[in-house]
Amino acid sequence: MNDILDKGLEVKNEADNEAKALISVKDLYKIYTVGTNKVYALNGVSFDIFKGEFVAIVGTSGSGKSTLLNMLAGLESPTKGTVRIAGKQIEKMNEDQLVAFRRNNIGFIFQSYNLLNTMNGEENVAMPLMFRGVEKEERLRLAREYMKLMNVLDQAKHMPNQMSGGQQQRIGIARAMVVQPKIIFADEPTGNLDSKTTKDVLKIMQKLVYEQEKTLVMVTHDNNLAGYADKRIRIVDGKIVDIEYGSCYKYSNGGEENA
Amino acid sequence: MKIKDLISLSINNLKRRKLRTFLTVLGVIIGTASIVVMVSLGIGQSELQTEMIESFGSLTTISVYDQSMYDMSASDKDKTYMNDDMLEQFQNIPHVTGVSPILSFNAICRQGAYEGRINIQGVSNEYLKDIELGQGDLSDIDDKKLKFIYGNQVKREFRNPKTGEDYWSTGKEPDVDFNKPMFVVFDTDKYYQSVNGGTDENGNKIKMPKKYIIDTLGVVKGGPEDYNQYCYGVYCNIDALKTQLKSIYRNKPIPGQPTTKKGKALPYFVYNEAKVYVDSMENVMDVQKAITDMGYMANSNAEWVEQNRKSMQVQQAVLGGIGAVSLLVAAIGIANTMMMSIYERTKEIGVMKVLGCDMGNIRDMFLVESGFIGLMGGTIGVALSFIISKIINFMYIKNQMSAEGAMMNMEAVGNISRIPLWLVAFTLFFAIVVGMAAGFFPSQRAMKLSPLAAIRNE
Repeated sequence: MNDILDKGLEVKNEADNEAKALISVKDLYKIYTVGTNKVYALNGVSFDIFKGEFVAIVGTSGSGKSTLLNMLAGLESPTKGTVRIAGKQIEKMNEDQLVAFRRNNIGFIFQSYNLLNTMNGEENVAMPLMFRGVEKEERLRLAREYMKLMNVLDQAKHMPNQMSGGQQQRIGIARAMVVQPKIIFADEPTGNLDSKTTKDVLKIMQKLVYEQEKTLVMVTHDNNLAGYADKRIRIVDGKIVDIEYGSCYKYSNGGEENA
Repeated sequence: MKIKDLISLSINNLKRRKLRTFLTVLGVIIGTASIVVMVSLGIGQSELQTEMIESFGSLTTISVYDQSMYDMSASDKDKTYMNDDMLEQFQNIPHVTGVSPILSFNAICRQGAYEGRINIQGVSNEYLKDIELGQGDLSDIDDKKLKFIYGNQVKREFRNPKTGEDYWSTGKEPDVDFNKPMFVVFDTDKYYQSVNGGTDENGNKIKMPKKYIIDTLGVVKGGPEDYNQYCYGVYCNIDALKTQLKSIYRNKPIPGQPTTKKGKALPYFVYNEAKVYVDSMENVMDVQKAITDMGYMANSNAEWVEQNRKSMQVQQAVLGGIGAVSLLVAAIGIANTMMMSIYERTKEIGVMKVLGCDMGNIRDMFLVESGFIGLMGGTIGVALSFIISKIINFMYIKNQMSAEGAMMNMEAVGNISRIPLWLVAFTLFFAIVVGMAAGFFPSQRAMKLSPLAAIRNE
């Protein structure tokens, strides 16, 4: 664990030297060629995301928001432009380096949870730590810690198909948290959930940002959900049309507060 | 990622598709079992033949014969009789551990109403020690006093000269007891002349030659029906035999020994046969060649074994090849299973990559999985082949036993299917390697799968 923290510090110092922003995107293009036509999935996007921000990337389907997220996470390579995360230009990394980069810096929350059906709750949460080579006892201890934080400790021994969608997503969030990442990416995290559970999950994510001081980037098509974020980047046809600041649903430690 | 995590992950994946894993493993079981059983049959057959040859005599012993003894055309000087000087030269050949001359002498043995012609073989004490005795022991072996070891079929040679009854006419062993005094006549020519009432050149009746009472040291192990290489002969210490013969014949030529042109006895004993002992089977052929180069006829059972081994090697390769075909089919099965598994788990592999699982770890996971299929199939396959081997041996020996009476035990009886430890180790190793080789391309494919599959929402 110390090792991970040290690495984090190292990267942070570099970031301080080079740029204040944790994520810095400049002139990002992604061009697909379909037959003879060129499709601009991203058409020159630039923005910064700072440490401790809860950012929503909002757009309709086909707007390019998912492509943008894939590039931030190093799952797709851009046609042009740079993506700098914590001082590293990730578009220049090869696949092995990207995997290692994600392992050490990034947590991921999926729309369809993507828990492994062969593992129970705690094993699923502990999986990213297994990739880091953490001993079984230690990683399960950490997993339970984060499951407690997510209020799903009672699901530790249950298999994913025995859990509700909300429970699965909380497990998914715990899995993203357990590696203590600098950035968490969430791809439509509430897309498969009912409205009450959606609210719960979003509040949990707010809690992460404010109490755990995480940086969270969420992709959504729902304006209402984007209101939970501090900063909303609106994308239409591969271009940023608007960046709004300020949360519509203020986070408070106790109850909920509507604006 | 830790190796034990990798392994437990792989085993978990095999567990969740139990039927498919079982069917794939079944293919490997059949493949390995057929290889092991086929090769075991080849080994068994080859070893059986070796054992049969071994029953005719030790595999590290060379028999040397002197032909010049019977070659009348050669002059005395040309003749290189096999005598003690010559044996010393044999002894000096590398890898030779010992040499025993064999001094052959025919005599007549009498007890009660029976008499029998026996072939006495004077040999070294080392030679005597190789004979497995059914009764008596070699502890009071003596260089001075002549004592006999009788072959287990020697009794058959006795007959009653008055009635003409013998083993071959009555089917019963003559009533001869080797533990009671045996009377031995060495000068057989004189004996027969005396019995038939012959006269010498002066017309005097030939007197019955002297009979000697010779102690029995032991009898070769085995019943009257059992064949072995010592069953016909009568064995004794060569020096004691020499002393005995010298005292009987004085300076006259001894029957069976060559003489000078003038018919005088030679000042030394000449052996028509000698045994040369070699340290190991691999060196037998070299030593044998050295002896042949010295002008003697030599043969050994190792020659047979050598020839036998060459033809068996081909046979074993063919048998193993037939077995290997079924393992090849099993390997294709493994590759197919792994491909299916990868298609099914595309999303899962994507998730792992997004969460930071090294590409190498993903490849290793699939390699461990396919290797494990090989290991399981190999282990069960080997166990199965032990059972099959038991059954084959049971049937084979039963079959042999019933055919035995007719065949007069000329063929060695034993297990036809033999599984040595090296075959077990090799097969297990081979099964794992085949499993991993079959999983290699699927695992490469898994490694290169795009992590984007995890993001796509169905």
